[in-house]
Order: sequence, then structure tokens, then C-alpha cells
Amino acid sequence: MSLAIETKKLTKSYKTKGGGRLDVVKELDLQVEAGEIYGFLGPNGAGKTTTIKMLLGIIEATDGEALVLGKEAGDIEVHRELSYLPEKPYYYEHMTGLEIMEFYSSLFGKRDTEKCKALLERVNLANDMNRTINQYSKGMQQRVGLAQSLLNDPKLLFLDEPTGGLDPIAHIEVRDLILEFREEGKTVFISSHELSDVERICDRVAIINKGEIVQQGKLDVLLAGSRVELTADSVPAGIADGFKAMEDTTVSFKQGRLIMDMPDSSETNGILDAIRTAGGTIISFVPRRARLEDLFLESVSADNKVKGRKMGRMTIKDLEAEEAPLEEVKE
Amino acid sequence: MNVIINIARTTIGEAIRRRVLLVILLIGVLFVAIAPGLSVLSARQELTVLKSLTLGIIQLTSAVIAIVLTVYLIPNEIERRTIYTILSKPVRRWQFLIGKYLGAIGALGLMMTLMTVTLVVVFWVMKPQETTVTVLRELTLGPLMFYVQMCLLAAVSVFFSTFTQPIINFFLSGGTYLVGSLFSSVLKTISENKDLPLAFKAVAIFIQNALPNFEYFNIQNPLINPGQQIQNEGLHYLNLAFYAVAYITALLVGGILIFDKREV
Repeated sequence: MSLAIETKKLTKSYKTKGGGRLDVVKELDLQVEAGEIYGFLGPNGAGKTTTIKMLLGIIEATDGEALVLGKEAGDIEVHRELSYLPEKPYYYEHMTGLEIMEFYSSLFGKRDTEKCKALLERVNLANDMNRTINQYSKGMQQRVGLAQSLLNDPKLLFLDEPTGGLDPIAHIEVRDLILEFREEGKTVFISSHELSDVERICDRVAIINKGEIVQQGKLDVLLAGSRVELTADSVPAGIADGFKAMEDTTVSFKQGRLIMDMPDSSETNGILDAIRTAGGTIISFVPRRARLEDLFLESVSADNKVKGRKMGRMTIKDLEAEEAPLEEVKE
Repeated sequence: MNVIINIARTTIGEAIRRRVLLVILLIGVLFVAIAPGLSVLSARQELTVLKSLTLGIIQLTSAVIAIVLTVYLIPNEIERRTIYTILSKPVRRWQFLIGKYLGAIGALGLMMTLMTVTLVVVFWVMKPQETTVTVLRELTLGPLMFYVQMCLLAAVSVFFSTFTQPIINFFLSGGTYLVGSLFSSVLKTISENKDLPLAFKAVAIFIQNALPNFEYFNIQNPLINPGQQIQNEGLHYLNLAFYAVAYITALLVGGILIFDKREV
């Protein structure tokens, strides 16, 4: 499988007021395969948008390499084959949906009105294409954004919070569109806080925290059952009490059945044997798939707790301290 | 070229809908329209004063519009993130900057045309006897030279906007315009005064040469005073055009070089 994006030790640093150096993105190694939906996750200020900007060539990396569709990030020719939907995009309000599309179409050298209309139809804006953008709802504006991102039939799409702030219906529509992109063979790089969306649609994810990748891999593998749930019948109380002493294991009884939630370890077989030997019957033994939310919190909170910060309770000052780089470091 | 034209066209569309600019324009048009009613002088003096007053109104209004329009030209695009969508297309930064500049001077041209048309109509209606072909020529030539002046001012402001905040840019561009127009004669006097210390004169000469001289484009005196004539008019205007184009080019090239390296 060819790579749509490849970065090697990609770094972006800024000088701080005190003369120090703040690594907003630190030695990032990413490999995004062609044709996959890749989720790029991280808390606010983790370096997600900075990474996307570097991959688009909008800002220069301080160090490291970034290849996008086989060419150096920022190569103007690559821009003919990719597209970008920024977070909370703004469109010139005096223009209609169709005019916006025609404007972006013209940036590729030729104004293709028919294609613009077809794409607006695809995102269900056929009846609204002649209304000005200031009459559009947030969801409609996002759909215009997605439509403009398809103007060049891109091989690679960068979507920054594509479902952020949308109502449930618009949310589902946008999510379905992204799935259609994959079916068409496009590579989609999504930066998002909507973990449920990412879990549903992404093939692989990377979790970035404080500019560093803390998890990366296939979603199925990352979320694969590291725990199991066991249900057994007719288990003697004495045996069950013995299981309670095991580390990281919860034991409960429901309608007389033993239910155990435990790590999938080398001891699992021994537990099954012990139940059977004691006359118990194994009803079910199911590997438990972790939730992305748990994986995310586990990945980002470990580091944050070191500094005494509670996840999800970052203050504005915390964010500003992370997001207000002062001077770019040139190397 | 297509890319630049389309960015310019969109910029014009946006600029002519900006309420703050329309209010300034409306005030300018209103003053030009009511100017004849303010004059209480003799017929001959009245025409001279009226021409001077209305041209002055157009110059002042245009300068304010030029600065207000251009100081937000680039910062707004960054703040609203439109620049990211545009630069993620096959658009180079210099194309974006030139497109924005051309759009700004295009919008400025439309606004100044409206003021000039108002001026001509006002003269035609209020002073039908005095509005000869010569006067009409003067009433259009004056604003035309102001337009060239404003294109230069817009280039100054676009240059500053590539590395400063709008509020700082407002004062920098406004200051440059004031020094380059109102104080150009003062600077010239200082630089030619033999009694002043050399260092003092050197500073005056430096400012005089480093900043664009906006006063060159103010041809109110020869237009208003029948006694003053521009020798070899064609060559004079050609020189002015060359001066403006050279300065604008230098400013835009400087702006592009800075903007190309700037983090957005």
C-alpha cells in the first residue's frame, strides 16, 4: 500500500518569552496509507492544526520531513490533488453557495459551473445554491465546505473538525459523506474531537498530546480486547471469593450467575479450568473491545496528571500558554 | 492570472459591501453634493474655492477609505481562516497578495468614480454656465491623479499589513501619507536650508527620499489657479505614473517577500 502522507521527525518549535523553546509538534512520525480514513486526535493545543498546516505547506516545519502524495509538503502541484476543510470555515457572506463554489473552482484555473452545481447537489444544496451564505445554517455551510473540497476530485482530504457543532442530522450527513469518500478511494485525514465519529469511520488513528504521538495504529488493534468478560453458572461461592482477590478484576453475581470482568492474561485459562473443575458451567467468554474514549483519556491523561492537570478541565490560561507561540525557531 | 483576477473580483465584492466604507463614502458624496451651498463668495472666487473644496473632500475621503480598506485586507483573511482554504488550493502567496491589492484598488476606483460623478453632476446642475469642457477636464483629472495617489497609499498599507496589526498599520500608513503629502514641502525646505546642521538636513533628505511623495499627485494648484500651468503636461503625467508604478512595485515585492515567510 502506498503512503499518502509520511512524516519523519516533523517538528515545529517557537521561542518563548523567557528565551526557551516550545515544541508545538515534536518529532512526529506519521504514516497514512492511501485510501484510508485516518483519525488525528488530541486535546486542544496538542498540535493537530499545526501539523495539518505543515502538511499543507501553510507553515514551515522547524525540523524533519513531510511527504504528501509523494512530494514535499507545500509543493504547489500537490495542492491540485488535495483539499482542506478548516475548522469553522468562513465564506464571503455576500456570495451565494454557487458563487462560492465558482470562486474556489476558479482557483484551479478554470471556472466549472456545471461541476459546482453537481457537487452542491451531491451535498443536498441543490435548492439553496442561489441563496447567500449568510442565510445558510451551520450545517449547510459545512456542506458547502465539503463540496468545495471536492472540486478538484482530490486524492487526499484534510478535514479539521468536520462535524464540530453540527446538529445530529447534519452530523450524520457529513459522516456519511466522509464514508463515501473512502469508497471512492480517497484518503481522508480527519482531525476531530468527536471520538464517536472517529471510532465509527476511521481505519487508523493517531493520538497526539503536547505535540507528541502517544498512540498510533489500526483502530481495531488499539481497541482490541485487552479485557474479557466471563459469565458462568453454578460456581461455588468459595471459588468466586478466591477470584475477588485477583488484581484488576471485578466479580459480581446476577441472577445467580457469576460475572467477571478481568484482564485477558495468561491466568485466564486457569480460571476457566478452576470453574469447570468446581462444577461450574461457562456460559460465555467474550473479549471486551475498549472504547476510543477510554483509550484517548488513558493516552492523554497520563502525561497531564504529571503536571497536576485534570483532563477536560484545562483552563483558558493553560491553553493560551500552549497555544501562544511567540517567535518561530529557525534552524 | 486567472487566479489573481478572481481573488481581486471577490475582494471588490466584499469591499463594496463593508458598511464602514460605505458610511465614509456616503459622507464624502454628501459633502461633495452640498459643497456649492456652502460657498458665499463672488462668482469667480466661488468657482475656484468650490473646485478646491470638493477636490479636497474627495482626496480626504479617498485616503480614509484607502487606509480603512487595506489595513484589514490580510488580517481579516487570516482571522476568518479563508486564507487557509485559498492557500490549500494551487495558489501561491504572491498571487493571493497581488489579487487582494488589485481588488482593493478596484473597489477604491469604484468608490472614487462615484464621488467624481457626483462632483461633475453637482457642477453641471449648480454651475451650468461655468461648467465648461476645461472645467470638466479639471474635475476629472484631479480625482484621477488622486486615484493614482491612493493606489500608492494602498500599496503602503498592504506592505505594512504583511507584518503588523491593523491598528498599528492604520497609524503607520496614515503617518506615511501625512508626512509624504503635508510635510513634503517642509522636508524640502529643511534639506535645502544652508543654515541648518548637516545631520538635521541628512535626516530630512532621508525621509524625503525613503517615503513616497504623495504631494507629486496633488495637482490642485494648477487646476484651480488659471495662472499656474504644468509645462509639458504629457511628460509630467507619464513621469508621475512611472514614479507611482515603481513605488507600488517595490512595496508589493517587499510585502510578498515578508508575507512569504510569515506564519499565518
